[in-house]
Amino acid sequence: MLGFLSARQTGLEDPLRLRRAASTRRVLGLELNKDRDVERIHGGGINTLDIEPVEGRYMLSGGSDGVIVLYDLENSSRQPYYTCKAVCSVDRYHPDVHKYSVETVQWYPHDTGMFTSSSFDKTLKVWDTNTLQTADVFNFEETVYSHHMSPVSTKHCLVAVGTRGPKVQLCDLKSGSCSHILQGHRQEILAVSWSPRYDYILATASADSRVKLWDVRRASGCLITLDQHNGEKSQAVESANTAHNGKVNGLCFTSDGLHLLTVGTDNRMRLWNSFNGENTLVNYGKVCNNSKKGLKFTVSCGCSSEFVFVPYGSTVAVYTVYSGEQITMLKGHYKSVDCCVFQSHFQELYSGSRDCNILAWVPSLYEPVPDDDETTKSQLNPAFEDAWSSSDEEG
Amino acid sequence: MLVSASARAPSSTGLRGDKLTPLSSSRLGTYAVSPGLLEGTPGEAVRHCSAPEDPIIRLSSLYLYLFPGIIKSRDMSRKRHRLVSETSGLKRRQKRGPVESDPLRGERGSARAAVSELMQLFPRGLFEDALPPIVLRSQVYSLVPDRTVADRQLKELQEQGEIRIVQLGFDLDAHGIIFTEDYRTRVLKACDGRPYAGAVQKFLASVLPACGDLSFQQDQMTQTFGFRDSEITHLVNAGVLTVRDAGSWWLAVPGAGRFIKYFVKGRQAVLGMVRKAKYRELLLSELLGRRTPAMVRLGLTYHVHDLIGAQLVDCISTTSGTLLRLPET
Repeated sequence: MLGFLSARQTGLEDPLRLRRAASTRRVLGLELNKDRDVERIHGGGINTLDIEPVEGRYMLSGGSDGVIVLYDLENSSRQPYYTCKAVCSVDRYHPDVHKYSVETVQWYPHDTGMFTSSSFDKTLKVWDTNTLQTADVFNFEETVYSHHMSPVSTKHCLVAVGTRGPKVQLCDLKSGSCSHILQGHRQEILAVSWSPRYDYILATASADSRVKLWDVRRASGCLITLDQHNGEKSQAVESANTAHNGKVNGLCFTSDGLHLLTVGTDNRMRLWNSFNGENTLVNYGKVCNNSKKGLKFTVSCGCSSEFVFVPYGSTVAVYTVYSGEQITMLKGHYKSVDCCVFQSHFQELYSGSRDCNILAWVPSLYEPVPDDDETTKSQLNPAFEDAWSSSDEEG
Repeated sequence: MLVSASARAPSSTGLRGDKLTPLSSSRLGTYAVSPGLLEGTPGEAVRHCSAPEDPIIRLSSLYLYLFPGIIKSRDMSRKRHRLVSETSGLKRRQKRGPVESDPLRGERGSARAAVSELMQLFPRGLFEDALPPIVLRSQVYSLVPDRTVADRQLKELQEQGEIRIVQLGFDLDAHGIIFTEDYRTRVLKACDGRPYAGAVQKFLASVLPACGDLSFQQDQMTQTFGFRDSEITHLVNAGVLTVRDAGSWWLAVPGAGRFIKYFVKGRQAVLGMVRKAKYRELLLSELLGRRTPAMVRLGLTYHVHDLIGAQLVDCISTTSGTLLRLPET
């Protein structure tokens, strides 16, 4: 580490290298810490978590009880022991609360004044954070499994919504109505994700084992249907291509948008090249997946070798993205984990599970030195210690 | 409410001791094991070493040799340090030791050696030589610990035309690996004198070398290779193609039905042996030492490789050897 610092100082190495090396070391040291806690508000399992991309300070969580809670993750007290408190919440007594379980919440990508939430009650609600009221509601005919808004786009405010029907709907926040529909899947859409690299590229995953990449400006259907066998690419073949051998539950682009990770109920996770749809054949082994709805997993950002954090039963499994090696399994939850998010400023991981807890996994690099009694005594410099004794004899 | 669970799995010392003993394979020659298994990587000098005389440790190092995929299963703390030191550019002095001191690492280099070794385990006599020896992809994973590397090497072998990968019908994930030469000879022998022989020979001559995929499409067959619909029907009757979807077919092995039946029954039987054990776990040495049940026609070692590679059992290294345990989920 000192070598890195002096190399950076003299200009021998790029400053980014030190940052990446330090981030990677911290991610490799993730574990539960008794000093960090998240306040427990939810009465049901936690389905979704999202940390705002602007400062990385506020976190939203949505639960199966329809409650949405906003947490402040920053430790402004000087103590090491810190509980992330809930700033406010949309609880069961709120007039606009979702009737059924909240499946996805997402902050508005450009500031924290707004967030969106979608739920099994067939609605997508747009909330104003400061007043905690709904600014807009989109109603659908089927239950909503997932929604996503593009994190990089400045040209459009489309929210892609995946429902139980086979059509992906794109809702425009500016006009307040659904602007268009993407057809191509045959069963329910379990996950949608915009590319973090291009404004108009969208990936959708469905229960019919297919993952499709779309350019939303194009009228005539999807760009690519991902094929796990990397077979012939021709128009006639598209209908037989499958990305997984079961339902495809989760989608995540890597932070540079060049690769796409998908998980399916065939207990596999696959890494795809998002440019040409090729299966990179990185093998992560068995990634247990019994979820009937979407699984929300996440990728680290800013490390020298990126890591993917996947909920695996009641643990969170950590793999390196490009080589498929399993690093560790983070054990701590009592029931199955449904979602996890990564805070890239401090390299912390937050995971929510069906046991109504959110756990914070914090990098711990150094073993805490146990406090002995001598150290508290010797805090006083011997030069200032009293030299006289209080006994009657001469000292 | 604080959960003080440890995020690191316990690392045992037993298997590590075995791994560090250099070339314990030289001791294995004393057992009545088929020589094909012992000729690991060519060019390795057989050295005499002071391996411990204890037969239990010898037996477990035999299994280490057979199943090197086991070693890396649960040692999480060491992996972390290796990545940390790699990131900060430090190299550990111990890692620069001579490569020959660790014979099991030599296995890592080649999926091809793993495939050849596994082909020896296939019982040819059971099928009266009518079936080419089939090896499963999951068995290769149990011999080559890094799965991504194994997949890439198998893909290379497939592109070079040395092996064919075939979809075995019972599980979409189970792929069978066959040497192209074996496949060709067996298929020709099977269709000898039958009415579809002509179509099959045309298929073997034109399509097999050209297209290394698992499946074939309608327009590919009719336009690129010039097959008529009646010829495609002949191929399906011969068992060379199986229907996948409207207008697309999987490549198949004629007569593989019997193999698949024995395989599925054998897999269930071996899993059942582990399931019926107390606490649903069995030492590998004990499992391999038991009498082969009647349902297992392909051999216990064949099935154990497959179960380990397909992660249907968890491999845990203990002080008495490798333990196979059924996963909780």
